Amino acid sequence: MRIGAVKERHDLETRVAMTPESAEQLKKLGYSCAVEAGAGQAAGFSDDAYRAAGVTVVGSAALLIADADFIAKVRPPTEAEIDLFAAGKTLISFFYPAQNGDLLARAAAVGVNVIAMDMVPRISRAQKMDALSSMANIAGYRAVIEASSNFGRFFTGQVTAAGKVAPAKVLVIGAGVAGLAAIGTATSLGAITYAFDVRPEVAEQIESMGAEFVYLDFDNGSEDGAATGGYAAPSSPEFREKQLAKFRELAPQIDIVITTALIPGRDAPKLWLADMVATMRPGSVIVDLAAERGGNCDLTVADQRIVSGNGVIVIGYTDLPSRMAAQASTLYANNIRHMMTDLTPAKDGAPVHNMEDDVIRGSTVTYQGQITFPPPRPKVQAISAQKPQQKAKEATVDEKRAQAAATFKAQTKSQGLVLLGATAVLLLVGAYAPPSFMSHLVVFVLACFVGFQVIWNVSHSLHTPLMAVTNAVSGIVILGALPQIGSGNWVVVALASLSVLVAAINIVGGFLVTRRMLAMFQKS
Amino acid sequence: MTFGTVSAAYIAAAALFILSLGGLSGQESAKRAVWYGIVGMALAVIATVCGPGVGRLLIIGPIITGGGLLGYYVANRVQMTEMPQLVAALHSVVGLAAVFIGFNAHIEVAHVAMHDAAGGSPLLGFAGILAHKTPVELAIMKVEVFLGVFIGAITFTGSIIAFCKLAGKLDGKARKLPGGHILNAGAFTMSVILLLMYVSGAGAWTLLLMTVLALFIGYHLIMGIGGADMPVVVSMLNSYSGWAAAAIGFTLGNDLLIVTGALVGSSGAILSYIMCKAMNRSFVSVILGGFGGTTGPAMEISGEQIATDADGVASALNDADSVIIVPGYGMAVAQAQQSVSELTRKLRAAGKDVRFAIHPVAGRLPGHMNVLLAEAKVPYDIVLEMDEINDDFSKTDVVIVIGSNDIVNPAAQEDPNSPIAGMPVLEVWKAKQVFVSKRGQGTGYSGIENPLFFKDNTRMFYGDAKVSISGLLPMLR
Repeated sequence: MRIGAVKERHDLETRVAMTPESAEQLKKLGYSCAVEAGAGQAAGFSDDAYRAAGVTVVGSAALLIADADFIAKVRPPTEAEIDLFAAGKTLISFFYPAQNGDLLARAAAVGVNVIAMDMVPRISRAQKMDALSSMANIAGYRAVIEASSNFGRFFTGQVTAAGKVAPAKVLVIGAGVAGLAAIGTATSLGAITYAFDVRPEVAEQIESMGAEFVYLDFDNGSEDGAATGGYAAPSSPEFREKQLAKFRELAPQIDIVITTALIPGRDAPKLWLADMVATMRPGSVIVDLAAERGGNCDLTVADQRIVSGNGVIVIGYTDLPSRMAAQASTLYANNIRHMMTDLTPAKDGAPVHNMEDDVIRGSTVTYQGQITFPPPRPKVQAISAQKPQQKAKEATVDEKRAQAAATFKAQTKSQGLVLLGATAVLLLVGAYAPPSFMSHLVVFVLACFVGFQVIWNVSHSLHTPLMAVTNAVSGIVILGALPQIGSGNWVVVALASLSVLVAAINIVGGFLVTRRMLAMFQKS
Repeated sequence: MTFGTVSAAYIAAAALFILSLGGLSGQESAKRAVWYGIVGMALAVIATVCGPGVGRLLIIGPIITGGGLLGYYVANRVQMTEMPQLVAALHSVVGLAAVFIGFNAHIEVAHVAMHDAAGGSPLLGFAGILAHKTPVELAIMKVEVFLGVFIGAITFTGSIIAFCKLAGKLDGKARKLPGGHILNAGAFTMSVILLLMYVSGAGAWTLLLMTVLALFIGYHLIMGIGGADMPVVVSMLNSYSGWAAAAIGFTLGNDLLIVTGALVGSSGAILSYIMCKAMNRSFVSVILGGFGGTTGPAMEISGEQIATDADGVASALNDADSVIIVPGYGMAVAQAQQSVSELTRKLRAAGKDVRFAIHPVAGRLPGHMNVLLAEAKVPYDIVLEMDEINDDFSKTDVVIVIGSNDIVNPAAQEDPNSPIAGMPVLEVWKAKQVFVSKRGQGTGYSGIENPLFFKDNTRMFYGDAKVSISGLLPMLR
């Protein structure tokens, strides 16, 4: 089986779907590799480098496609390219089937199997082939670099001999992979970074990257990012208004705005309006990563750098990953290679297109002449559903007071009952028992009471010493035996003497052991 | 000394005893508290000996000295791990003394009755008090004598059995004679009948027969309780010894005995309550012995026990920042507390956060583990109780479980059919890694399978705890 990578035809595309390095790995899976002449040139991989890695360099795309069984690409193919395919061949590339309906129908008609890299489901197992994430990561990084090269000042604040430099303030809108990468890059350049996202659950991730989460005081009910596979969902008009008001408030003090807000299958939402741009200081930079889908900023023009009337630079490049072709190609080629690994479970060069597998099924958009898009829901949930944290209902002051009163009442009641019962019993006893017994009983009951009050305060760790000391103290029975020794009856004297003996053992032994134990307790 | 002086001394002694128990609320004040107890006891004994109505000082002197020497010898010889046995043995002694004193009281009562009939000279000592009693008071006194002997006898045999079980001289398993609790209940009922007969003047044989029955109850009751419930048993016997002393106090009309007995009795009762609470079992079910009926089959345990060696444990410890050690009875059995202390010292020297988590019923005596660790010079401020530390397990890198089983059993929370369901346990399985030092694969005292041992983050470190832990020491950085 042969895998081939064609040269990208798009003007701004510099990436390539196979690198010499990924070819080595593919060979280990049992495949032979081919590449169209000059395919890696723009990304810095020469044909010789491919040859050195054992890759056949083929003169034209047509020859390559005719010869290979799997064809790897970056951008979606043109209709002309599709027509070069014969039935039964497999194409792996970005495809965007939802937007490219005609192309999808064409591919199905030709009979080519298409694995769309943008359709890889977002489950843990598939992260290694999640090309969208690896490209977004690069885009986020590059966005900050572009902003920096267009921004006339430092990112980091400095106090120098020549004067003080204020740090740049960066606002990142949308904390997906690209947003988080942008946050990380901006903070490591020293900027003060703020970030906003409609999903409050990403606040933690934002803060972990070193940015400050811009909180929006809005209860948007049960927004659950997990339901949409970790992507944002369209928000309500009220929420949008609130959000825009917040941005309007922030705009005058922000130097760099990086917008990455995208909603799957829709045009990018307009979040940075013309009036916000107007309030920004001259020289500020806006980098719009959503430019390809209309842009988050009113002024964005795709693939253009424009300057607004008040000197704000708006960058709408859609080829940010291509601007870092070597890095992007490496990662993308690795994503493809991981996809091939999943397609080749036996590592014997014999691909198994297993339509039962969540990842393969999800990313396959045409198979054996049939359109298989959209895929069924994956069996494994994308992200563990984040249960909205049910905040324990704060009891109001009144409720708390009522509760306290109720417990107090219950306690009073139970204590009252116990006291009442005890008094009744004592009265009953008192009615019949002689006074001498009653006086002892009073002492007994009081002593029990004192005992209960005192013992509850004994520290947990001192329970063994407590037992030892009470043990020693209960040797007090010696007091009972002592007078009996004075008896005239020899049996009594003998028994009493024995009692005194054992009680003495108990007293001395008990106290000594307690002392030994307590002496050992020490603070560090 | 006059009667007034003796009374004053008794009041002082009672106050000192209360202060002594109250002082145990903190480690530092406890050191003073024990002196309060000693002074109180000395005061009470001296006042009694010098007081009116005590003769034959020549006999009393040597006996007290002899007993004191014996006590001194025992207290200095005993190992800290043998503390549960010692406490149980000392309880039995109090019970025995109570039985004897009760007998004496009975003999004196009979003697006084004869004396009154003969109409002789005024009586001295205890007999003198008796001579002034009215018939009603005498009847009440008979009840008190009877109760004192009854409780004393149960405490005596019960403590001896507890001692044998704790010292390993008897099998720790719950054992009952055929008939089980019916036998106890029968013996108890007969004792009540004998009490009625005794009060109505049936004579000494009722008292003796009851003593035999009570001795049997004590034996059979404690035989029927399993080793894991021993903390409750020991505190219960502690309580009984106090009530026996109080009953004697009633008999003799001695308020100090009553006060002290009541203090000890309530102390033991509270300890038993705390222990029962810690095991989520009612006092009755502990006394009835064994574990209560299960409501269904135990949850299936999947997975396997994965063993590891000293290397594995040592490297995990070297990588860890926070360590919690959970000791149990197994540590006491293996005498491993010194090695554990050394381990703690080394880990702390390496800048790691080391703490101990003590379950209320770890060991065979309330607070057993605290005493052992204190003996091994583990600072007490890193030894924490369950409630203080249970929330911290999820933030802990390594947990070492040394010889505990049921107190770390997740089945208590996860399996409603488990015999220990609902018992509060240390949630060690929430830590990143758990090592269980254990002799072999068997189940613990309670005989319940422990799903903790089968968890993914648990590794079994088989072998004698002392040898295993000592083996770790040279491998730590």
